[in-house]
Amino acid sequence: MKKKTESILGMAFFGPALVLLTLFLFVPMVLTLIFSFTDFFALNPGLTHFVGLDNYFQVFKDEDFRQAFGNTVKFVLIIVPLQGLGALGLALLINRVTRCKTYFKVAFFIPVVMSLAVVSTLWVQIYSPEGILNSLLAGLGIDAKPFIHSSAQALPSIAIMSAWQGVGYQMIIFLGGLQAINPALYEAAEMDHASGWQKFRDITLPELKPLCVFVFITITIGAFRMLVQPMVMTGGGPSHSTYTMVYDIYETGTVNWEIGLASTMAIVFAFFVMILTVIQTILTRDKEGKKHVYKKAKKN
Amino acid sequence: MFTKKQKRINVVLVAVMLVMSLFFLFPVIWMLANSFKTDAAITGDMNSLAAFIPPELSGSFLDNYISVLTDTNFIRYMANTLFYAAVLIVLGIIVNGLAGYALAKINFPFKERWLLIIMLLMIVPMETIITIHFLFIAKLGLLNNIIGYVLPMIVNPFNIFLFRQVFVSLPDDVYEAAQLDFCSPVKYFFTMVLPMSKSVVATVSVFTFLNVWNDYLWPSLVFTSSDLLTAQIGLNAITSNENTTMGQTLAVITLVTIPVIIIYALFSKQIVEGVVSTGSKEG
Repeated sequence: MKKKTESILGMAFFGPALVLLTLFLFVPMVLTLIFSFTDFFALNPGLTHFVGLDNYFQVFKDEDFRQAFGNTVKFVLIIVPLQGLGALGLALLINRVTRCKTYFKVAFFIPVVMSLAVVSTLWVQIYSPEGILNSLLAGLGIDAKPFIHSSAQALPSIAIMSAWQGVGYQMIIFLGGLQAINPALYEAAEMDHASGWQKFRDITLPELKPLCVFVFITITIGAFRMLVQPMVMTGGGPSHSTYTMVYDIYETGTVNWEIGLASTMAIVFAFFVMILTVIQTILTRDKEGKKHVYKKAKKN
Repeated sequence: MFTKKQKRINVVLVAVMLVMSLFFLFPVIWMLANSFKTDAAITGDMNSLAAFIPPELSGSFLDNYISVLTDTNFIRYMANTLFYAAVLIVLGIIVNGLAGYALAKINFPFKERWLLIIMLLMIVPMETIITIHFLFIAKLGLLNNIIGYVLPMIVNPFNIFLFRQVFVSLPDDVYEAAQLDFCSPVKYFFTMVLPMSKSVVATVSVFTFLNVWNDYLWPSLVFTSSDLLTAQIGLNAITSNENTTMGQTLAVITLVTIPVIIIYALFSKQIVEGVVSTGSKEG
């Protein structure tokens, strides 16, 4: 085919995607960056001024956004170990059992199939003061808890629910990783009479390390983007204890129409998420190299 | 193969995990069992084991489900979502598939650079630009309009990349043979390329469906009119109505989950492969 016709053909094939990418990704990204330096108020666009870095100072001084940021970090700190280690533990157990393997895989995966709105609606009932969880706790002799109705417990309650919902997904990833480990490594260790714990420490963990990095950062990114749970369950309350960064962006931008300020928040939010993504890409990229090092170490 | 001691450990382990799985699934079991009960029965059973057991079969067994299906807009919401998903699957395969094919097989200016840009775009979180999307769609007067809902969701850098990765490994000689038959490139794409890549088409379709079905923020911004709501937003509209009983709420969330369970049952292989491959992607 002639070069010129091929160029035209290529652009014709790529064109529709390019138009949509421009309209709904490039332009919005550039606009978000530009608006973040203005006081653009969508209900009165005529009064827009360039305000430099004012929004950025204001955002970091803003009581609500600071709390939203703190809540997001707190949420990450609870859910990442809970969901990550939970998934690893489940995968190790399921990998070991000889019976009912498929049942266990399906059972722990079921909440993943349910949407966040469904899970949140369900757990509003579960966490209700007269709900089933309090009645189960009463059976164990534990006093009733307010859960999502108290500002101290609302965020941890949502974190536990979210870990419950997501744990099966990472469990499947870890199971895939466990099955990919070369069985010869274990056989060699058995010949040296290595104990179960030694095999886990010297073979399983090092082999899974790149996957652990990937999984833990994926959970962190997901946690940063948390929104639906407080939207459905608490409305960000009680007293802003479940307000998150994305919630603040959403309310500031689409409820209050303060596009300038919302754009600044979005830039701050995107900064954190993109840094995490870049770290994840760098850390998981040279995993082949790492594997090689581990194998070498084992030989010595 | 196993010693007696190992066998005993295995039996204990399975038993412990069975109990664990029941505790893990207690919210789901409770949801299913109580979706068949009246509110009085739900509260009455709350402090006994009956909370996890469905009521006896009787004429009123399915009352919650029947009232949800007949007294609310629920079926409408489900049909809306299926329709939106179908539209987005078709448009998404055409737009992202053509782009992926161009990036894989056709020489055009700045091809490598476009590919790099597509890969960079994959890391932008949608929440960052959703305010601008909302502003756009509102300014265009497309709120409460399916076009306004669909338009920003068609193109997907991740799917373009996925298509490109699969199309790159397609043989070139088929294309050359098609050229000799004067087969137009567009026809060739739809009659040869897509059918040869059924598995990636299935994967993209399944993930598009799940994405549309589970999405919350974007449809909640675009749709306020009751006729257009998606299942997730509709479910919130139904359950936040004060006349809706607890039993009906549980019936609604059970019903909303059924289509997803069907999709997972039919495509579990593709989904699990997709999940596992995101974890072991060579990047």
